[in-house]
Amino acid sequence: MTAASGRLARDTGLMAGRQLRVLRMNPGRLIYPLVQPLVLLVLFVSVLGNLAITQQAGGGSYREFLIPGVIIQNAALTAPTTGLALLRDAGSGLADRFRSLPMSRAAVVIGRLASDAVIFAVQAILLLGAAALLGFRIRTGLAGIAGVVAVAVAAGLAFAATSAWLALLIKDAETAERILFFPAIAIAFVSSAFAPVGELAAWMQPIARANPVTVAAGLVRSLASGTPTVSQLLQLACWVAALLLVPGFLAVRRWQAPA
Amino acid sequence: MDELISSDGTPAIQATGVIKAFGAVTALRGLDLTVGSGALAALLGPNGAGKTTLVRIIATLTRPDAGRVRVLGYDVAAQPAQVRARIGLTGQYAGLDEELHGRDNLVLIGRLTGLPRRQACEQAAELAATFGLGDAMDRAVRTYSGGMRRRLDLAASLMSRPAVLVLDEPTTGLDPASRQQLWGALAGLRAEGTTMLLTTQYLEEADRFADVVHVLDRGLIVASGTPAQLKARVGDRVAEIRLTDPAGTVTAALALARRLAVPPGEIRTEVGAGRLTLAARDGTATLLAVAAALQADGIGVEDLRLRQPSLDEAFLALTGVAA
Repeated sequence: MTAASGRLARDTGLMAGRQLRVLRMNPGRLIYPLVQPLVLLVLFVSVLGNLAITQQAGGGSYREFLIPGVIIQNAALTAPTTGLALLRDAGSGLADRFRSLPMSRAAVVIGRLASDAVIFAVQAILLLGAAALLGFRIRTGLAGIAGVVAVAVAAGLAFAATSAWLALLIKDAETAERILFFPAIAIAFVSSAFAPVGELAAWMQPIARANPVTVAAGLVRSLASGTPTVSQLLQLACWVAALLLVPGFLAVRRWQAPA
Repeated sequence: MDELISSDGTPAIQATGVIKAFGAVTALRGLDLTVGSGALAALLGPNGAGKTTLVRIIATLTRPDAGRVRVLGYDVAAQPAQVRARIGLTGQYAGLDEELHGRDNLVLIGRLTGLPRRQACEQAAELAATFGLGDAMDRAVRTYSGGMRRRLDLAASLMSRPAVLVLDEPTTGLDPASRQQLWGALAGLRAEGTTMLLTTQYLEEADRFADVVHVLDRGLIVASGTPAQLKARVGDRVAEIRLTDPAGTVTAALALARRLAVPPGEIRTEVGAGRLTLAARDGTATLLAVAAALQADGIGVEDLRLRQPSLDEAFLALTGVAA
């Protein structure tokens, strides 16, 4: 057991290292997860930032409401790349190579999530930096910043694990490319990212309230302005644990299964 | 073949009664195969014969529906980890990360097989030199030629120093020079005692390099033996006759059979092309006898030559069924 978990840890590190190296050699791949979110942030803030939308308790500006939503939204929109990258591996001769090695098979999926965790973290830090230039303040200092990055990474990984499972379920890379962004866009927009849930269409409200994007965005808003509630933390923890454990486990299983 | 079994008597690969179906298609139908330790065995067969399925089962990528496959005594279904630790696979598609440098690929694969970093680096450099890739190691694999990619893939399969190497059509798509280089590398491995099983569609390739050839047809091994033994059954070479008058093809075949005292079934006819072929067991002597026989019967000949048997003809001779 310890030998197996030691191998899982080692192989996860090797696989994550491989993926980060590929990114370093192909910096163009970073445009989607790291540059586009900055563009979206500037666009959303410029187009919507001066709206006077009814404020929830706390009464900050709309900008302070919008920016945490954009941070989590971008994590959701980046998550499909995890599944697509796994499918690229699955469709190449590399999949057979990995499966024929005495390595941990779970490390292929978990290593992908590990390298994507780095992407989610850098994405959140860049967005916070850009948001600061746009006048967004985290009043809780370094601990608050670390908390926001941790929430973005946790939510991103939960969505990424789900995209990994869906992609391996779909199997065909081109089909997956056309399908995976749909649920990502749905959860990114049917949420409190742009407006408080109470302002959304009535039919949408129950979905938006349960949506992990809403939960995570709410938590980021609380972290930015003060102390989050235990209930907020628990809700996010439940979502992240559920998505990492169920779709994450199913994704690992699908990768492991022999034909 | 007894000399190819290792001293403790365990064959490198032993398959018994292997059955594998994919939906309605049965790829392997109760296949039996033994590859002795240290042998270079070729699995010869046309597309769809089941070669890749068998290779994938041996490499623990696919599970057989029935039957048992042991690699160095370990069961591929029950002890896949032990098998993976001892086997190298060169698949039909290169198992490489196209975006990484050659060196990164070898080191990554070496470390995934459990080598410490330093040893993986040393081994990568050594294999790169062996396969003439030293200059290309710090370039992305996607810039490699087909031959270089194949050699790097083979080097990757060797990072763990496997006792058994399975190769699925390693020379398909390679130009003649790259093919020679690859064969040179395999010859070196054979000299070191690595057991190899490779699939091929080329009779000539199996003939020149393999110790034992197993002919696979529709999911079963239909013939096994050394190249010499198989050739004795196929005929070393084939005499091919093209007649001036295609309409007289069948008559000519019967006349030829009578004159040469061979069963008429041994002479293959293609009526439309006016072509006759038969095994030239005595080489040029057969060709001369054919010429004399046709002349004696006054049959006009457009062309007369000796050539290597095609895989089709080998199949016909070994299985009685056209491939």
